[in-house]
Amino acid sequence: MHIFSQSFKYDHSWSHVVIGMWHKYPNPHCTHVVNVDVLDRTIDPITGIIRTERVLGCKQKAPSWIVKLFGGSEDAFVREISFIDPATQTATITSVNLSLSQFATCYERIQYRPMSSTQTAFTQTAEIQARMAMWRSMTDKFEDWLVQRFEQNAISGKAGFSDVLRTMWEAKEKQTAPS
Amino acid sequence: MAHSLSPECTPLKHEYDACFNTWFEGYLEPAITNANTKGHSQGQRIEYSKLKKEEYDRKCGSIWEKYKDCVQKAVTEKGLGELLSQARQENPLREPPPPDAPGSS
Repeated sequence: MHIFSQSFKYDHSWSHVVIGMWHKYPNPHCTHVVNVDVLDRTIDPITGIIRTERVLGCKQKAPSWIVKLFGGSEDAFVREISFIDPATQTATITSVNLSLSQFATCYERIQYRPMSSTQTAFTQTAEIQARMAMWRSMTDKFEDWLVQRFEQNAISGKAGFSDVLRTMWEAKEKQTAPS
Repeated sequence: MAHSLSPECTPLKHEYDACFNTWFEGYLEPAITNANTKGHSQGQRIEYSKLKKEEYDRKCGSIWEKYKDCVQKAVTEKGLGELLSQARQENPLREPPPPDAPGSS
């Protein structure tokens, strides 16, 4: 099992980041995400919390030994559940792979919270574990590849979302910034 | 805008997303302000949430039903139905996780 975690800040207000969340894909840094659908969405009239369940479809190149092992498909689906709580300004996003879950799990949790009126803290943790009943060396190799891919996707995710937020909000933020 | 799982659902997805995004942008700032303004009682906040939920149902309810039905069919056609119900059983995630403790490393 590998545990991955990182945190950094976006130079945008919490509400801009949370509005931007729904515009993250498509972006040129994250071409592996090919489709996104909302499966369920509820608004709690008492707490004001919005819960959204989505399915994301990803297509990524994998080494041929992995593709063969898993029946030749490069399509991978992820289930994502998010909670947006305006009262506490907390957004929490949990994602777990749907595809190949019998072979490995990647359980990821992300949280966005304001740091200041113009900055938002991002924290991310992921538990990646290969669950295969086969030779130990192969399980380790597969897990290493999953971790490497997750790290690459985390880098491109940050770059991609930063660009999306910049495009969406830069003009507006310049207008309202104190002179 | 991103594509849907099934090309057939993509126009419905775009219409629904546009409706939700417009509503959401109008919802968020006042909801934050309500929670952080001393003069606003919890009753007022609940009133606001109820009104805004009704507005969402009114404006986006119809396109949501069409889009949701299309996606549910696509999920079944792609063979994801069983995986999804298993995943929902294992991790229902019906409530937000507890906030991270302050000062935790």
